[in-house]
Amino acid sequence: MAQSVLRNIRYRGLTTCVPERAFSNVQDCPPEQRSERERLVRNIGIETRRVCLEGVVFSDLALVAAEKLIAGLGWEKSSIDALIVVTQSPDYPIPATAIILQDKLGLSHGTVAFDINLGCSGYAYGLFTLGSMLSAHGLKRGIMLVGDKSSNPLSLDNGLLSLFGDAATATALEFDETAEPMYFAMGSDGSGHKAIIIEAGGQRVPIQPHHLERLPGADGISRKGTDVILDGPSILNFSIREVPVSVAQLVEFSPFSLDDIDYFVFHQANRMINETIRKKLGLPAEKVPMSLKDFGNTSSASIPVTINTRLKETLAQGRQRLLLSGFGVGLSWASCILDIENAYLPDLIEI
Amino acid sequence: MSTIETFIEKFNEAVDFQEPVDVSADTRLETLPEWDSLAALGVIVMCDMEYKKTITGNDLANCQTITDIYKLVA
Repeated sequence: MAQSVLRNIRYRGLTTCVPERAFSNVQDCPPEQRSERERLVRNIGIETRRVCLEGVVFSDLALVAAEKLIAGLGWEKSSIDALIVVTQSPDYPIPATAIILQDKLGLSHGTVAFDINLGCSGYAYGLFTLGSMLSAHGLKRGIMLVGDKSSNPLSLDNGLLSLFGDAATATALEFDETAEPMYFAMGSDGSGHKAIIIEAGGQRVPIQPHHLERLPGADGISRKGTDVILDGPSILNFSIREVPVSVAQLVEFSPFSLDDIDYFVFHQANRMINETIRKKLGLPAEKVPMSLKDFGNTSSASIPVTINTRLKETLAQGRQRLLLSGFGVGLSWASCILDIENAYLPDLIEI
Repeated sequence: MSTIETFIEKFNEAVDFQEPVDVSADTRLETLPEWDSLAALGVIVMCDMEYKKTITGNDLANCQTITDIYKLVA
């Protein structure tokens, strides 16, 4: 497990943008499916999800979040040195979405801009990457845009349909010698790369005409070759094995104990996974805020969405120490302990 | 004290049946209306938390009856 301390980095602000359109997992289905859906909602903990209108993509939400963040902080656009996009829903296979957004946001040609291809573990990885760049001296201000458009309203995969919501978040970091250190622990296990995968569309499996048809898989669910396949049991086993251990190791590596941490914000996978992780770590529910019920699994945005919608008032009252932990597609995981104080944290933006 | 009776109780809770179902040690999983991917996840969590045993999706796919699952954790 890679562990690291990052110094001189201040968490300056966070904005979140979600589609206004909400789908209900219980209401929006035929009456004969109601009872089955209620059982599903009880177990995955997701009642509603935000879903982009046709034609709206991740970077459209990200642009709005970024504009709000930059304006709210009062940052001159010319003062922003780096723009990192963490997403698995890029505008195009190439070029990187961050570079397109550099132009749309009106940032300078001196901006460092690139994408990171990570999902559920991406928030802490983004903080580590951008924070490391700023702490190396020279660059002062950076923004990272994190999230995905994971919804696929035309999918026939019921498990998938009820799980994912769309969201984009913008986070501002700044070089500041008075900031408290951030602590990180990260890992990867590519032997599980098929647990969450889109098989067709890369160079290993170029798209063929049959990938665009819905064909029944081994599990009886019909999918296109370009749809996401989730291996639920493998993801569950990975999450409940790896995450509690890696969180415990991060706390051990830091100067803190579990009691010194005010809130634990986990990737919002599903209720079963999150509750198991919480119980294994022995954490009280009030220290583990959740956004699953209203927003579903929002991929890499789920940690900032939870901070924005569940901890905004608390963070407005004074300094809080947070442990953030993301895990999933890759397989990949990353956790971080950081203090947040006087950060710009406006209300959720809906478009 | 671990018995098949307590295992069946925990199994019923993990599967979260919509209507009460009479489950015994010999009940074949394929006859249960709710034996689906959600039930499998519930049973994997239950085996991990209650019996400290990791059960994979393949392990479950190879089980025909409740007793077969019980043998994996007992």
